[in-house]
Amino acid sequence: MNIIVLVKQVPDPEALVEIAASGKDLNIEPKFAINLFDEFALEEALRLKEKHGGSVKAIGLGGPKAIEALRTAIAMGADEAVLIEDESFAARDGYDTAFVLSRALQKEAFDIILSGRQAIDRDRAEVPQMVAQFLGLPHVGVIVKLDVADGKATAESALEGVAEVIEVGLPAIFTAQKGLNEPRVPLITGVMKAMKVQIPRVTLTDLGVSKDAGQKTSVLRYLPPKKRPAVQFIEGEPAQAAREIVRILADVERAI
Amino acid sequence: MDFSLSKEQKFFKGQVSRALSRIVAPFADSIDKTDMFPRELFRELGALGYYGIRYPSDIGGMGADCISFTILAEELARASIGFAAIATMQCLMGTDFVYRFGNARQKRKYLIPAIKGNKIGTIAFTEPDCGSDLGGIKTRAVKNDRGYVLTGRKLWITDGDVADFVTVAATTDPGKRLGGIGFFLVEKGTPGFSTGQKIDKISARGAATMELIFDECQVPAESLMGEEGKGAKYLNDILSEIRIMIAGLGLGLAKSAFVAGLNYARQREAFGRPIGKFQLIEEKLAEMEVRIKAAELLTYHAAWLKDNGSLTGKQAAMAKFYSTEAACYVVDEVSRIHGAYGLAEEYPAQRYFRDARFLLFGGGTSEILKTIIAKDVMKRSDFEIN
Ligand SMILES: Cc1cc2nc3c(=O)[nH]c(=O)nc-3n(C[C@H](O)[C@H](O)[C@H](O)COP(=O)(O)OP(=O)(O)OC[C@H]3O[C@@H](n4cnc5c(N)ncnc54)[C@H](O)[C@@H]3O)c2cc1C
Repeated sequence: MNIIVLVKQVPDPEALVEIAASGKDLNIEPKFAINLFDEFALEEALRLKEKHGGSVKAIGLGGPKAIEALRTAIAMGADEAVLIEDESFAARDGYDTAFVLSRALQKEAFDIILSGRQAIDRDRAEVPQMVAQFLGLPHVGVIVKLDVADGKATAESALEGVAEVIEVGLPAIFTAQKGLNEPRVPLITGVMKAMKVQIPRVTLTDLGVSKDAGQKTSVLRYLPPKKRPAVQFIEGEPAQAAREIVRILADVERAI
Repeated sequence: MDFSLSKEQKFFKGQVSRALSRIVAPFADSIDKTDMFPRELFRELGALGYYGIRYPSDIGGMGADCISFTILAEELARASIGFAAIATMQCLMGTDFVYRFGNARQKRKYLIPAIKGNKIGTIAFTEPDCGSDLGGIKTRAVKNDRGYVLTGRKLWITDGDVADFVTVAATTDPGKRLGGIGFFLVEKGTPGFSTGQKIDKISARGAATMELIFDECQVPAESLMGEEGKGAKYLNDILSEIRIMIAGLGLGLAKSAFVAGLNYARQREAFGRPIGKFQLIEEKLAEMEVRIKAAELLTYHAAWLKDNGSLTGKQAAMAKFYSTEAACYVVDEVSRIHGAYGLAEEYPAQRYFRDARFLLFGGGTSEILKTIIAKDVMKRSDFEIN
């Protein structure tokens, strides 16, 4: 069973973020981490490999910093990793990203592609679905369980209140939801190995993709979140206060 | 001249930090509150290979250099000082004599399981009547035809309640002071060896500090680690490493405390603005930042010197002295930033405040370290270039 995991390096959830003076960029404190949901994907890939044999390969796309997310994958137990290196991808859109990834994936032999359900930086939840589209593969999203047998996979997808059990022929793409597993903490020897391993890098040119392959959307500007209005205390006897609340909700806020 | 960690070292630091913040940090509070040896956690870190970090790969270690070990110490302290005291004891002082001087059987029986987290090791030199003055120990080792008979009491022994084996300092010739000391490997359960009182303390809780009692405890000749009378020298061989490691602990604790203080200064408002906007609080933040950075430079410089074979005792002494004092300064300031909440059990500031004190004594007190630094200074006419 050959499994490929798409891995993204994202700003650490604790990194401070502010809108640049131009309003067109974000200033993000340079602290990075592997995307949380991709860790679930990696863990699932490693467990499938432990059960069924085969190999796990992590693929990342981004600037040289992104190599660290791939090293994390190696530390956890992935057999190999490759970085599609292009600094501009920090600012490019999901369509473009999916296009380039699908080009890279066309050169790979795989039964399963796993990724996180979304990247926690932009939260768009779009790349794996588009990769599936480009490759003409089925996609099962937001999974919390995955079993494989006889060239088919059975996955549970978490919905509001229920879990949907889905069967799909392989190869297919799955996106991991929280609850799928508990990602392992790497062995210290794994970390040492990952420190030293040479992670190959390929360029867009190597993949035969031109620089401006497919960007379809662009960010115009960033707006700060709306300021929360000051808390308003309503005083008085309970019955009178309740009447006042209803009046504000109905006449001032027009919420009811 | 290059002052930065390599890319690889940064990756290592990031991984260790992530791992420990996930597995250890969530228990920091309960380890402190219960003051119980966290056995599960201890095993878990062993299974991940952490205790073998300094040892070569052929015995299950990872052959890491002093910089990597310092990184580990720093990250352990960021997570929990109580657990850091336990883990560093296991990585270094508790196991190093059997690594250096143990025979194949002893290594198999003690060292290999210790590296895996299946056995616990500790070291015992401090006694009720002597700490800094190692040459004044009274525990006797008397040679007989079956080996040695140990008699005496040890105090302040980390993990003394749970340790499976102890490396014990005893003198074969009290008149020779430091020159009479030898270290002996003693297994738990050896007749004549028992644990006495536990010292309840306010710092590094979870790592119990115990009294150990040796009452005509017969040990075989092979228990002697190395040679008679050379114990002080052997301890001295790792003393600088111990000091750099504790400097790393100071650094980690200072950073954790600083971040708590920073967050509090951002959130807490007084007189209509975040307290972090008051100049006197800004001054605290700036002062702490500078001291932490200075401690970081001294600590990693010492580790780097060790890895490059040019460490002097003074460099390690300076790192330990400055870093642990910086930690004590930082936890005090962070406590002040928290106001009354700095005393509240539910905030970690009070734990940092207590924990920092532990760093001042083991591995040499600040006074002893300053003595070492001053002795070196007196030998010079000017500053050395390094
Ligand atoms: C949490 C904890 C864990 C420990 N774990 C262990 C362990 O596992 N094994 C072990 O063997 N020991 C352990 N120790 C003991 C530790 O090594 C001693 O505390 C240390 O050696 C200092 O000795 P002391 O506390 O007896 O102080 P003392 O040596 O009695 O010193 C008291 C004071 O006098 C000062 N002083 C002493 N001599 C001089 C001098 N020449 N010049 C100037 N000032 C001087 C000191 O700086 C200090 O201020 C532990 C201690 C603590 C706090």
